[in-house]
Amino acid sequence: MTSRPRLATDVNVVNGLAAVALFVVMGYVFVTASLPAPSGFPDGSITASIGYAMFGLVDQAAIESEGFLVAFEIIDVLLVAALVGAVMLARREEDSGVVTALTDGGRRIRDRNDSADDDAETDGGEN
Amino acid sequence: MAIVTEYYLLLSAAVFCIGVYGILTRSNALIFLMSVELMLNAANINLVAFSFHHGNLTGQVFSLFTMAIAAAEVAVGIGIILVLYRNFQDVDVTKAATMRW
Amino acid sequence: MAGAFDFVPAIAALPLLAFVISLFFGQYMPKRGAEAGIIATAGSLLLSVWTALTVAGITGSATSYNENLYTWVVGQDAGAVTLHLGVLVDPLAALMLVIVSLIAFLVHVFSLGYMNDEGETGLPRYYAGLGLFTASMLGFVFSNNLLMAFMFFELVGLCSYLLIGFWFRDDGPPSAAKKAFLVTRFGDYFFLIGVVGVFATFGTGLFAPIEGEAMHSFPQLAEEALHGSAAEAGVDTFGYDAQTWFTILGLLVLGGVVGKSAQFPLHTWLPDAMEGPTPVSALIHAATMVAAGVYLVARMYGFYLLSPTALAAIALIGGFTALFAATMGVVKQELKQVLAYSTISQYGYMMLALGSGGYVAAVFHLTTHAVFKALLFLGAGSVIIAMHHNENMWDMGGLKDKMPVTYWTFLSGSLALAGIVPFAGFWSKDEVLFEALIHGFGTDGALGTVYLLAYAMGLLAVFFTGFYTFRMVYLTFHGNPRSETARDPEPVRWNVKAPLAVLGIGAATVGLINMKPVKELAGAEIDFLHKWLLGPEEGGWPELTSTGLHHYEELLHDFAHVSASYPIGDEQTTLLVSAALSLGLAVAGVLFARSLYNEPEPVEHTDRLGGAKTLLMHNYYQDEYQVWLAQGVTVPIARAADKFDQGVVDGIVNGVSSVSLFTGSRMRRIQSGVVSNYAALMTLSLVLLLLVFVVVGGGA
Repeated sequence: MTSRPRLATDVNVVNGLAAVALFVVMGYVFVTASLPAPSGFPDGSITASIGYAMFGLVDQAAIESEGFLVAFEIIDVLLVAALVGAVMLARREEDSGVVTALTDGGRRIRDRNDSADDDAETDGGEN
Repeated sequence: MAIVTEYYLLLSAAVFCIGVYGILTRSNALIFLMSVELMLNAANINLVAFSFHHGNLTGQVFSLFTMAIAAAEVAVGIGIILVLYRNFQDVDVTKAATMRW
Repeated sequence: MAGAFDFVPAIAALPLLAFVISLFFGQYMPKRGAEAGIIATAGSLLLSVWTALTVAGITGSATSYNENLYTWVVGQDAGAVTLHLGVLVDPLAALMLVIVSLIAFLVHVFSLGYMNDEGETGLPRYYAGLGLFTASMLGFVFSNNLLMAFMFFELVGLCSYLLIGFWFRDDGPPSAAKKAFLVTRFGDYFFLIGVVGVFATFGTGLFAPIEGEAMHSFPQLAEEALHGSAAEAGVDTFGYDAQTWFTILGLLVLGGVVGKSAQFPLHTWLPDAMEGPTPVSALIHAATMVAAGVYLVARMYGFYLLSPTALAAIALIGGFTALFAATMGVVKQELKQVLAYSTISQYGYMMLALGSGGYVAAVFHLTTHAVFKALLFLGAGSVIIAMHHNENMWDMGGLKDKMPVTYWTFLSGSLALAGIVPFAGFWSKDEVLFEALIHGFGTDGALGTVYLLAYAMGLLAVFFTGFYTFRMVYLTFHGNPRSETARDPEPVRWNVKAPLAVLGIGAATVGLINMKPVKELAGAEIDFLHKWLLGPEEGGWPELTSTGLHHYEELLHDFAHVSASYPIGDEQTTLLVSAALSLGLAVAGVLFARSLYNEPEPVEHTDRLGGAKTLLMHNYYQDEYQVWLAQGVTVPIARAADKFDQGVVDGIVNGVSSVSLFTGSRMRRIQSGVVSNYAALMTLSLVLLLLVFVVVGGGA
């Protein structure tokens, strides 16, 4: 943990070739594409315009944009959901161990129930 | 002199493919999540490049939303890695291979 | 007011209703369903008599009826066949309807005594079977096309199976029922091919044309095809010459006839069918079901007359069977067995008559035989009741004093069977033989020889018939009683005696309907049956249905090239000589039986035949031969076919599924569970997709 980082060499390089192939193809497409010249931004504060666009006040923005008010609200809801989900996934149950996905065919539950008479309370996260 | 849009696209392709490389080759779940972040940011570069190309701010606002979603996704992803660790005692994605034929 | 013809379907529907009632409610009825059967058959009898009166022209205006009542398959294309159910009533059908419903009614009444009074169980099933049989037989009689006739043909076969196997908990009856069904089914297989052939050739299976809808009948079309050419008549003969093809079709249908009417070689089921209750034997295996085959030939007679080969086959089969079965009847020991072989033999006479062009003779013998054979079987049933179901004649004897009604009616039936004047059988059998004789002498070539050969066999069978009939009578009723049961027989009630009395009077008098010798000698116009089947000279039903005797006689002369000649002087003398010959042989047989068996303690004289008796007791080993055919020939073929079916056909199907299973089991290893592999696959697919777009979309 206190050694310097080393290049990862114990990786599956063969799979990585697919990524290289993807880059080759995409690069070829982009380099041989002929796009017109970029039309840059007119004078005006980009950040302020982004702010106006975010709240749907498009006509007050210096640079043209679309209104994103509804998306803003939805993203807000999404962030709340993500927070709640993350906390729920991470928490431990008080009395019977952790909330886990069952991947052992219920053996842990069976053992827990068998040993419920012996132990008054069980420790969570038994390994 | 403005940089030609193709080079921005090339940059975003490179970053994206680095992210794909990371997903395909690394076995640590946290590195996996970092690669996913790389891919999302490559998409962001793409969006901003086209926003400059068209002179319309939609791309930049959209990339802000993308970043928010990426953050939410990482939060949930770390929660999942936590549960993965509890079940398999390791964050190696190649070890968690019970849902197979 | 609706005429009788509108109610003809009800003649069959009433017994069908009795079938349903007996089946579902018989257990609640005091006579276990007999009431429904008796009322239904009485109703059918009344309707049949009314129909016959209408055909005679006494009530109503029309004298024939031919309608398609129900279309059940509509042919869509131009050349496709449409299938109907319809009713055809002409004098032949009307006569047969009366016969069948009368016998059915009497048998239902008799069953009260044979089954109910004897305390039999399962009677609702019995009366249901009788009802279904009566309905099917009546439906067969008034069918107007060949396919409908085939359907009812099979239905009566089914009812025969159900009723023979009535006492299915014993060993014999189910086996006998199976044998009856299989043997007749074998013949019906050829019949079915014939039906399909008729429809494919003519596009129709109608027995008689329907004027209103301009539908031709197949005998009519066949006649036109022979007059002109097949193509002109719209008939497809599949590359064969028209007459050859019609012969083939006729012989195929004959397969079913031979099976159902128990002619050689498909006669083996009838003696075993005696395992069923005696009223069933009387109804089905004496008077009606076995008559179905002969009736079918008579119904299609306009078609059979076009083919001399088919006629020769019919006559030869008939004559041979008459002799063949009569010889076997001589040695039998059980009462019903003698009667069974007698039935086979007498149907041989009817086939002989039909084959040699004696249509009236065949129908006459059909009528008289139905009456006296049903009488004999019911009389045998009465004896069996008295003897507590012991059928062995050697345990009987001396019953004539204890059962007078049974004795006298049985004697009446036996005299009719043997053919002693003036009982019914004499007139009809004599006419059969006369027709065979004159057509044999009058026809040129091989056909005439065949007729004469068949006539000789039929004539010889008359002697045997007289012999075995009276052997049966003497052993059963005369002499001293040879067992305890014979000394003290159980009395029978009115429900047994009444049908016997009715039929006894019938056997004595039904010959009056066509006493041809008397007509020839005295010039009196008393040949009623002949007139009945001839019809009016002009117009009327013969013109409408082409089933009149005039038409048949024309066809007999023009197409079958059969004509009559009188070898001994003129017609009258030949008639008298032939009658005297058959009567003489019959009386000789009777007297021979009397000399052997009319003693107080008769002995089994047939033992003197030695080896011949063994052959006859084993029925010429025909049963063993048929069993060998089934086991030695059919079973290996069936086994080979089964191997093909399981190995090749099932193998292909299973092979397809095993290929699918194998590829599935290999393909699923892609699901390795490692996420990186999935991602690699996705990336590769994306690369390929992009390449495709690059190439197809015209490059960057």
